[in-house]
Amino acid sequence: MGKVIVVTSGKGGVGKSTSTANLGTALAVLGKKVAVVDADVGLRNLDVIMGLESRVVYTSMDVLEGVCELEQALVKDRRTKDLYLLAASQKNNKSDIQPEQMKKLCLELKETHDYVLVDSPAGIEQGFQNAAAGADDALVVTTPEVAAVRDADRIIGLLQNMAINNLVLIINRLSPEMVKTGDMMEPTDIIDILSIDLIGVIPEDKEIVVSTNRGMPTTYNHKSDAGQAYKRIAQRLEGEDIPIPEFKSGGFAGWVGKLFKG
Amino acid sequence: MFRRLLQLLNREQKSKSVAKSRLQLILVQDRTGIDEEIMESLQIELTEVLSKYFILEREQVEVELEREQDSMALVANIPVLGTKVRHPVEA
Ligand SMILES: Nc1ncnc2c1ncn2[C@@H]1O[C@H](COP(=O)(O)OP(=O)(O)O)[C@@H](O)[C@H]1O
Ligand SMILES: [Mg+2]
Repeated sequence: MGKVIVVTSGKGGVGKSTSTANLGTALAVLGKKVAVVDADVGLRNLDVIMGLESRVVYTSMDVLEGVCELEQALVKDRRTKDLYLLAASQKNNKSDIQPEQMKKLCLELKETHDYVLVDSPAGIEQGFQNAAAGADDALVVTTPEVAAVRDADRIIGLLQNMAINNLVLIINRLSPEMVKTGDMMEPTDIIDILSIDLIGVIPEDKEIVVSTNRGMPTTYNHKSDAGQAYKRIAQRLEGEDIPIPEFKSGGFAGWVGKLFKG
Repeated sequence: MFRRLLQLLNREQKSKSVAKSRLQLILVQDRTGIDEEIMESLQIELTEVLSKYFILEREQVEVELEREQDSMALVANIPVLGTKVRHPVEA
């Protein structure tokens, strides 16, 4: 029996789908059996990020409506053993699926997979409720920006109300240079505020865009910082003790500040 | 004086510090559902009640919700000029 992890954020565009695709791939590369589930009904894009769009025949909606078996709806990724995608319907609405149905689907998937990663839509409404319904754990994604962290806080509260208590944070799109000059919040600032554990920091990386263009998750690219950071998160999920590199502000002003503070 | 010097060196506060303190304030409101307006009427009522017992410097009264890690505190600064009670109030 595996576990279901919902990848969520509240705010849109912070990297939920990118994170789901990359972590799913990285976990499969580690030898785990993985299903990634697109729960963004009506605005699906996990299939595109993973480069599997041309092979999607059935969606989770078809499974729920009894049009096909769950097995048939799973698209096998040919690049990595044991990696499967369950696509979302593009022609339905988020309200066409009920939390109970999603829960059942997740339960069924985790019987045959080590990890079931559910890519949540933005927002706190039904789409999010559906995505989180079957989750054992949650990966909360944020960027180092005020609005994104605020929404992450809201989502953390909602997840806790749903009794999903094993929550960890991914900080995405961090620019080490901006952190250094004091123009971007550093991981410790964000952790202080949200008081949940950090599982990894993904740097801002042009390779994410390039690999999304190609439909080839960045994790496959050994030269990409973001890809490697995702790989390390997968290892941490697997229980390996890999330290998270520190990103701190510094420079002249910081140094003088410390000196005078005593 | 050091402060002045620091301000000169820093020119202005780094934007990440501004972001962090703005966030902390926003989250206090988000998490409690208590906004500026509620805080204001709390302060007025609180001052009203306390004025029965103390002579207060009303303009200086400050009431704020503050947050540290995962706990919250109502912090009030209420300057007292004198007391109005001579004997313990009877129940
Ligand atoms: N670490 C990163 N560096 C650069 N671009 C990124 C990074 N993470 C995400 N992006 C880009 O940000 C956009 C939103 O990402 P996406 O994963 O679709 O967000 P969400 O699913 O949360 O809406 C995409 O165009 C993606 O390529
Ligand atoms: Mg998405």
